[in-house]
Amino acid sequence: MSDIKSIIKKIDHLTPIPQVASKVMSIAEDPKSSMYDLSKVIIYDTAVTANLLKVVNSAYFGLPEKVDSVHQAIVYLGMAQVVDLVLLSASGENLQTAQEGYDLEAGELWKYSVSSAILARELAEKKGVKETHLIFTAALLKDIGKVILNQYVKDSFDKINALVTKQNFTFREAEKEVIGIDHAELGGMVAENWKFSPKMVEIIRHHHRPQEASISEFESAIVYMADTICMMMGIGVGSDGLAYRFHREVVESLELTESEFQKIIAGFVEKVKQLEAMMNI
Amino acid sequence: MKVTNDIKATLVTYSLGSCIGVAIYDSVARVGGLLHYMLPESSLDKEKARKNPYMFADTGIPALFKAAYKLGAKKQRMKVIVVGGSQVLDQKGLFNIGKRNDIAVRKMFHKNNVIIDYKDIGGTVNRTIKIAVNNGDTWIKVSGKGERKI
Repeated sequence: MSDIKSIIKKIDHLTPIPQVASKVMSIAEDPKSSMYDLSKVIIYDTAVTANLLKVVNSAYFGLPEKVDSVHQAIVYLGMAQVVDLVLLSASGENLQTAQEGYDLEAGELWKYSVSSAILARELAEKKGVKETHLIFTAALLKDIGKVILNQYVKDSFDKINALVTKQNFTFREAEKEVIGIDHAELGGMVAENWKFSPKMVEIIRHHHRPQEASISEFESAIVYMADTICMMMGIGVGSDGLAYRFHREVVESLELTESEFQKIIAGFVEKVKQLEAMMNI
Repeated sequence: MKVTNDIKATLVTYSLGSCIGVAIYDSVARVGGLLHYMLPESSLDKEKARKNPYMFADTGIPALFKAAYKLGAKKQRMKVIVVGGSQVLDQKGLFNIGKRNDIAVRKMFHKNNVIIDYKDIGGTVNRTIKIAVNNGDTWIKVSGKGERKI
């Protein structure tokens, strides 16, 4: 078993999420805030602004003219969408790298993260959940723990894989058994370290076991569902494969019938191609 | 879905998850085809099936074979390979799309007297399949476990 303290210490090696991310989230949650408040916060971060404008001008949105200011982006896409895009631009750095332990090439974990964030947001809207930005961000960052655990998974892959293939462990359970900590638990610690809200920390920590969440069970269930669908569609799936548990009671808690479940899949696969166009920039 | 007689082409479909990849090859006509479908039945959404028949087993598989016949391939010479259909653990009943995708292709092939030459289906692994149109050589890559020629 690895030294867990030294693993946790590696949280400090991650590129911290820019301050603009938490600022836009609090603006999004404040009903009194205006688009001017939002654009004022964004334009101070030049890197995020540049990234945001690139994404806004990508084929994914198909806007009729070139957008060259944050203000214009908000006019075209609305505050909610721009907030999500800022969160996207602010989160990419850690998640875009290759994760050899999980057999993910550069960009694959990112694609997975963005896809599940977009799907989670759609599900949240469908289910009338107000905190869509919370769900979007949690889904986007839920696998941040993998970025740290990657090296340890690489070193212990054979042991982890043996538990999965021979003893019906999930990949996460096998990580915990072999390394002493799993990527969801570690992701929760990263979220804490970055001073995210307790709800966000919980969703990330319980994204494979939403029924164990206490203050955000429904939100965790949505992120879990989006994650499961992405896995089934093979989006950014690596050496952990689909070796996670399907919790039927969670699907039922979201009141999703089997046919709705399939319709979500059908609707989503059509979007993935456009998503690629957005992410390849 | 892609079907071609361009012998320089290599067809590949990545990261199947619960989806299924069907590869076909006629070594006489030198025609290869590859389909990646996601769901078993087009009755789920007729409009989507019309726009993208390759999304479903029951519309995608006939489209794959018909496209190959158009290029001179014959059913009795066809090598058929089926991969994918993985399952999330404990995924039972109707929600088990990987298994239903597998049943869908087997049913269709049984009804139409198509014999599967090679299959690698189910489990929890993620697969990618590649076929060279030049000679029908086929490779399956399993995430975390490398690529092998079959």
